[in-house]
Amino acid sequence: MMYYKSVLTTCPYCGCGCNFYLQVLDGELVGVLPCKSHVTNQGKLCIKGWNAHEYVFSKDRLTKPLINQGGRFVEISWEEALNIVVKKFKDYIDNYGPEIFGVLSSAKCTNEENFLLMKFTRAVLGTNNVDHCARLCHASTVVGLSQTFGSGAMTNSIGELEKANCILVIGSNTTEQHPLVARYILRAVEKGAKLIVADPRAIHLVKFADYHIQQRPGTDVALLNGFMNVILNLGLEDREFISERTEDFEELKKVIENYPPAYVEKITGVSKDDLIDSAKTFAIANLASIVYSMGITQHTTGVDNVTSCANLAMLTGNVGKRSTGVNPLRGQVNVQGACDMGALPNVYSGYQNVTDEKIRIKFEKAWNVELPSKPGLTVVEMINEAKKGSIKIMYVMGENPMLSNPDINHVKEGLNNLEFLVVQDIFLTDTAKLANVVLPAASYAEKDGTFTATDRLVQRIEKAITPIGESKPDWQIICELARRMRSNQFEYTSPAEIMDEIASVTPIYGGITYKRLEKDGLRWPCISKEHPGTLYLHKEKFTRGKGRFFGIDYKEPAELPDEEYPFILTTGRIMFHFHTGTMSRRTRLLNREVQTGYVEINPHDAEKLEIHDGEPVSVKSRRGEIKVKALKTNRVPEKVIFIPFHFAECAANVLTNPALDPVAKIPEYKVCAARVEKLSDTI
Amino acid sequence: MIGKIRELAKRWIAEGKTDAIFGLKEENGHVAPNLFIKKSELERLVISPNYSLCYTLRPKNSNIFSLLERKYPNLKIGVVVRGCNERALFELAKRDQVDLERIEILGIACTKEEALECRCPKPYPQNLLVGERVEGVTNDDNVEALLKKTLPERLAFWNHEFSKCIKCYGCRNVCPMCFCQDCRMEKEQWVKTGVLPPEDPIFHFIRFYHISERCIECGECEKACPVDIPLLTISKLLRRDIKELFDYEAGLDVKQESPLLTTLDETLIKRGE
Amino acid sequence: MKLILDVKQMSEMKETSANSKKSKDDFEPKIIAFTCNWCSYAGADLAGVSRFQYPPNIRIIRLMCTGRLEPEIVVKALSHGADGVLILGCHIGDCHYLTGNHRTKKRIAILKRILSYRGIDPRRVKLDWVSAAEGYRFAKIVTEFTNEIRRSGPNPLKELA
Repeated sequence: MMYYKSVLTTCPYCGCGCNFYLQVLDGELVGVLPCKSHVTNQGKLCIKGWNAHEYVFSKDRLTKPLINQGGRFVEISWEEALNIVVKKFKDYIDNYGPEIFGVLSSAKCTNEENFLLMKFTRAVLGTNNVDHCARLCHASTVVGLSQTFGSGAMTNSIGELEKANCILVIGSNTTEQHPLVARYILRAVEKGAKLIVADPRAIHLVKFADYHIQQRPGTDVALLNGFMNVILNLGLEDREFISERTEDFEELKKVIENYPPAYVEKITGVSKDDLIDSAKTFAIANLASIVYSMGITQHTTGVDNVTSCANLAMLTGNVGKRSTGVNPLRGQVNVQGACDMGALPNVYSGYQNVTDEKIRIKFEKAWNVELPSKPGLTVVEMINEAKKGSIKIMYVMGENPMLSNPDINHVKEGLNNLEFLVVQDIFLTDTAKLANVVLPAASYAEKDGTFTATDRLVQRIEKAITPIGESKPDWQIICELARRMRSNQFEYTSPAEIMDEIASVTPIYGGITYKRLEKDGLRWPCISKEHPGTLYLHKEKFTRGKGRFFGIDYKEPAELPDEEYPFILTTGRIMFHFHTGTMSRRTRLLNREVQTGYVEINPHDAEKLEIHDGEPVSVKSRRGEIKVKALKTNRVPEKVIFIPFHFAECAANVLTNPALDPVAKIPEYKVCAARVEKLSDTI
Repeated sequence: MIGKIRELAKRWIAEGKTDAIFGLKEENGHVAPNLFIKKSELERLVISPNYSLCYTLRPKNSNIFSLLERKYPNLKIGVVVRGCNERALFELAKRDQVDLERIEILGIACTKEEALECRCPKPYPQNLLVGERVEGVTNDDNVEALLKKTLPERLAFWNHEFSKCIKCYGCRNVCPMCFCQDCRMEKEQWVKTGVLPPEDPIFHFIRFYHISERCIECGECEKACPVDIPLLTISKLLRRDIKELFDYEAGLDVKQESPLLTTLDETLIKRGE
Repeated sequence: MKLILDVKQMSEMKETSANSKKSKDDFEPKIIAFTCNWCSYAGADLAGVSRFQYPPNIRIIRLMCTGRLEPEIVVKALSHGADGVLILGCHIGDCHYLTGNHRTKKRIAILKRILSYRGIDPRRVKLDWVSAAEGYRFAKIVTEFTNEIRRSGPNPLKELA
């Protein structure tokens, strides 16, 4: 039957949450058309969004369940695959108890699927060992903003940036990572807003900035304390806001006194004058906004960095008003949602604590089962425990730790030491290649569900085509497994029903139904069916009542350069590829732009090592070695090198340090020590 | 006016004049292109906001009409078009990208407000069936501003604007006139790949030059740019130049050959010559 | 694509920092000339054989016909260090391929408009016709064009790179 239609859905790449129409002709995806009436992207897309349909019909898509027979993957039926998995799960629960399980949920899957997987892990398997890749990117945000504001999410919405008078972008390569957020920053600049970009590298956004603060990687606490020192000394703090809306200001003041500009210059490398000028600019602005991303979060001091950002915002009274706030840009399309849905070892959905007895009883009643009370393991901890043998089975949905975790060699050892690994994904990723059973999942274009964008906007994805081959939507797979494990709590006929259950147990999603999401989506907190959603947070009071200051002292990164490893290696992303490249490296135009990885090295450093542009070099760290081609560029300062992590053949994460932030357990991707050498035998 | 359009569309299907109607469908407050096959569906036919109907679907590198023609050789479609959509269809027909024999044009006129918003010079199609013609916009503020600038000022202006470019290819993707299988803008030998902002001026020059005599001034390129580069300014000026140099306006006469395919005395240079 | 390499090699002559800081008086423009095999290149040959003098600033590239020349190449030349680009073909009606130079005339007209809107002086690109017998005309055109570009000064696009 002939039909041509446009299906409105959300882009599966980053946290901007752009909407476009998938063009479907007779059941085939033929194109993408950006949605002109969407609040964030307004008819525009980045290069990844424009090509987001292509990987869906890649011939690499998994179409049947697979079983690993001595290194070869053999196709089997769903019946067989599910039975094998369920039998293994049941046997191990009987013999070892539930704590030997580790479950990785997916920031690429829908809210409904994340909710179901965490419910499955807790109610069916009986453990809290569920986590996902937010651990690797914004775990410090969740902790840092929770302890200062009471809520770990972006305080304002993306569009509000346009009307800010001053924007501080720290640790975010916004034009490349969140292009549609950068759109509003550039619009603000055109309107006369001041832009301060704090980044060790000379990123694209620097061209439009009034100040480029080039701090040494890992010195953000000192830098932000320096800002606050200048502001306090000039008397530019918002005294009214501080006295009425915050507490523990004296704690902050005591520490800030120790960070005068001269001292900060010694630590960060940022000149006194630049520090003073930019701090003043930020403080005197009417509406000032802080935008940050991985440069702040991915450190052993990630929580400290985030807390310092919150301190700065509260000091200048820039929270709880339009076009201000502290705005973490979440990378994955639904990492905000996965966190909201409680795919985390210490909370249920809505950030309700598993250790809180009242909360646990509420969920026990809702799910008619006893629930574990001990907080579970985080992503990196699970791998460590797998290596030790205390985690014996892992169930991984839509995650690729073999490329995204730090210290990949260690990850491989950990995963290989498991007694059983189940991977549910759309492609045979590097992680799936190590699995015992691989379950084929459906992509975003083949199922219904919701994603939550970085600014808390919950919006729909809609099924445009039938799932390829025998792949199934993740929520159906989880329900099948649960049913076979004798649970009757997973009888859902549609994702809409799952959302209804989510709303019933999750106050911040309390008023969300599919019917209400139809028009423009809803921004949480949305606590009841009449509530219109919330544009920006902490309006009259903070979620925890009063905002809390913390006096934070600067601590050095875990591994600094020394004689043997003289470079600081920092890792990150580029515009043309996305995360572990499973989707973007199967897209023609994106591959044409960038085929493989490289290491950015400053020309002075390259000359000293006699390295030419494009020459393959060896980059080594205490964890391993990779061969990658050199790119001579002034984007990186001297003694710093940068490698994008998307490329498995020259994986930056072979080198990175799995040192963790003590509270958030997020790895220090942004700083480790490395050396660069010419290859001994050149081709 | 929308009532009349729906009535006409329904009649065309009822009378068998067309097998389907191609237009915009409204659902939950959002509007997108759709192929209406049943009369009852036409209750959801709307005309606003306008979308580029004939843009090239990639990676098949064809517009939707061409895809439908190939799949359903006997299909006759009625298309609800504004002035700009019709100009696109005419130019595409000239280049064998659309078969006008299998398309029935349901032309509608834009309102004065719509013409002003798009800065459109001719807000009505030739095959006008519903609506009253209104005057197009002749003066354009951005164009006037650019013409007043001196050469160094223009250079500084565009250097700044194009430095914002994030190489989304949106301007090319949404343009109905861009349908090359082998797009030069993607080629490493012309434009260094993987670099932001893309090599200037060559990246944007390739597009401006290649669409110069085909540009129908629909403005979709500027609307698709995430960083608000005023692309339409140069396109509008080029369109005026094509008229001045070659007495040619893209999209007005489906029979008039493109000036770059004719000799200086307007003889068509046949293919292979 | 050999043509692109030729353009890049010829116009990317090593510019030391001293060169780029030269004052306007010391400025020696780099001119790229695209000529056609049948007419203007032969004309350039004749100029050489007849000892007609013309400035050494010019680098000549031979095409079979100027109709082969894409305007993108001209823009590339200007982006990679050329201060002026000269395009010399057969007189209208004399093209070896009949209508090649017709195309050139139209394309260069559009190219110059785009350059002027972009802020690049369109006079840095000149299209003219030189026959195989017009050695003197070749030298004259090259000399006049070089002087004109010398007066215009260095190509501002160089700072972009």
